[in-house]
Amino acid sequence: MHDSSPQQAEQLVLLLTQHQESLFRYIFSLVPCEADARDVLQETSVALYRKCDQYDATRPFLPWAYRFAYLQVQKHREQSARAPLLFSEDVMDLLASERKHLESHLNERLQVLDGCLQKLSVQDKELVTRRYALRDSAETMMQRFGMSRRTLFRNLELLRARLHDCVTRQLQLPRLS
Amino acid sequence: MNLESLISAQLDGVITPEQHAQLEGLLRHDWQARRIYLEMADQHSRLLQQMELNAGRMDAAVTPQRRWLQVATFFVPLAVTLLGVALWPRGSVIEEGTADGVATLSTTLDAQFADGSSLRSGDTLAPGIVRLKKGLAQVEFFSGASALVEGDAEIEIISAWEARCLRGRVRLHVPPAAKGFVMHAPDVKLEDLGTEFALNVRDGASRVHVFDGEVIAHTSDRAPSSLTRGMSFTSRSDEPAVSPEEFLAISDLTAQTSQIKASRHAAWRKWAGSQQADPRLVARYLFERHPDDRWDRLVANDAEPQQRSRAGGAVGARWTEGRWPGKQALEFKRPGDRVRLLIDGHFTAITFACWVKVDSVDKNYNALLLTDGYDNGEPHWQIYEDGSLMFSITYRPDGVASGGSWNQKYFSKPVFRADSLGRWHHIAVSYDSQSGEVVHYFDGHEVGREVSKLHRPGRAIVFGPCELGNWGLPTTGHQFPIRNLNGAIDEFAIYSSVLGPAEVRSIYEPGRAE
Repeated sequence: MHDSSPQQAEQLVLLLTQHQESLFRYIFSLVPCEADARDVLQETSVALYRKCDQYDATRPFLPWAYRFAYLQVQKHREQSARAPLLFSEDVMDLLASERKHLESHLNERLQVLDGCLQKLSVQDKELVTRRYALRDSAETMMQRFGMSRRTLFRNLELLRARLHDCVTRQLQLPRLS
Repeated sequence: MNLESLISAQLDGVITPEQHAQLEGLLRHDWQARRIYLEMADQHSRLLQQMELNAGRMDAAVTPQRRWLQVATFFVPLAVTLLGVALWPRGSVIEEGTADGVATLSTTLDAQFADGSSLRSGDTLAPGIVRLKKGLAQVEFFSGASALVEGDAEIEIISAWEARCLRGRVRLHVPPAAKGFVMHAPDVKLEDLGTEFALNVRDGASRVHVFDGEVIAHTSDRAPSSLTRGMSFTSRSDEPAVSPEEFLAISDLTAQTSQIKASRHAAWRKWAGSQQADPRLVARYLFERHPDDRWDRLVANDAEPQQRSRAGGAVGARWTEGRWPGKQALEFKRPGDRVRLLIDGHFTAITFACWVKVDSVDKNYNALLLTDGYDNGEPHWQIYEDGSLMFSITYRPDGVASGGSWNQKYFSKPVFRADSLGRWHHIAVSYDSQSGEVVHYFDGHEVGREVSKLHRPGRAIVFGPCELGNWGLPTTGHQFPIRNLNGAIDEFAIYSSVLGPAEVRSIYEPGRAE
């Protein structure tokens, strides 16, 4: 193979930045721990960059990139094989292949998620901001909201369920009319 | 703990090893659980990413703290390292083609769909209305429920767990895994608790008969009623009672379809016999297991006059069912699986035609027919990673050892996608060494036509040792030496001339699985 040209490298960096969120979402579904998923994303980006001369610009980028991401996820799994909280390979396989089929559905869901965020109660909005934008630790949030640990995690669970339900309902709306 | 709590604990990083094992068990065995997990995980990762970009966008009066910007710009250092340029996406979700099905059309019998719809068995069904004018169709929902629909009927598929019968007769089977499946009909909603029942909707009235198990009938004017084995229900009291004979049994569909398959197989066999002596055939492999072959590895070349030297030898690949019951095919799964061939001679034009079932396009290049190595004039036919058909041939000038671009590559548009995997398709490609034109076909339709800039007329095509389903002798140091096909082949023909669109179609038609 030829060495990659600066144009190819530039194109790849553009594609990577453009698709980085999708790649992260894919990786996170298989490695649902933010720090680990970020590591895998970094490694995937480097692997893609190294192989950028193999990318055919006339073909969709994401399916190609997912393949690299999947390999990096497997590598990560092997390296941390003793960590018990990783999904086993068969479950990852199932998730990865079904996610491909669900991808347009997941994208559709994200498009209505913003609207659902705006509909949350003030308390829930603050919880979202603390948990996701500010990345407050559990202890900080417990103090701030005056909640027990149990209540905090229960509230986060309910928040997720409310958002999930709201999105599901929004997507069903046109069908009911 | 229930699924939602387990997922939430996982997302918050507070899951215990026991809970993790429980979550994994649910994900392993339950399609619906995986879907909910994927949706929740996706929502979570969107929030993780979006909130850091839009910190402060929420109405709640909270001032973002600076330290989080470090996370927000996580990716930029890499871009800077790579190019010296800082780039940041301004967040739209880019959609790529994916399947959004909730059911598959598994079996059909003389089925004719309205609106010129070209639904075929094996098709994935997205939410929407299916209008069956005549014949029978079996719809298998991803939840596990399956419905046998008799034309004339109109069914709305709502999700993997919900459907509506607008008109016609439907027989529904709901295994325990799909308990809770809901069937809507005029004036009634039927909630299935794991059972088999039939529904007949005529003139806006619903009639139900339960063959087995239990169904809860919800109506607007009556309390929910439980219907069990042998019980019937009519949404209007003036309707006559229902008898089980009104409804078709699934065994009828099975019996009739296997009869049809057998007759298609026989018709194809007759057609294949009539084509055996086509003088343009270089070799043709029908993948019919040879009764006298005790080694079970012979892939006979049935082209007349007989040329035994062009018979193939299977390595690794195992016999499996082909397009019809009783028709064999060879299955390629493991990296060693292949069929070895030796094709002598020089050709001025070629056509390959093949019936293949591709289970997955999982490598950069997925072999159909490749010569050992890749020397001058040797054709390579493969499926590219994006699901397109790829034909290539190379002519490197004498004395040039390496470098330069001599490889003529021809791609079709992508044809192997989620909805075409796992079923039988006819693919073909023709190459004319004079005109340089390559034409790709998929199920009898042209899917690509091209002449390479590198083409020079009149250079011979040769094979020598070659393989179906694998690459026997990868070029030294090639980055993608592993190319075994993941799928099965049940017919492969090599012609010494260009077959036109009409002729390719005439091969496709008699060979169709149904």
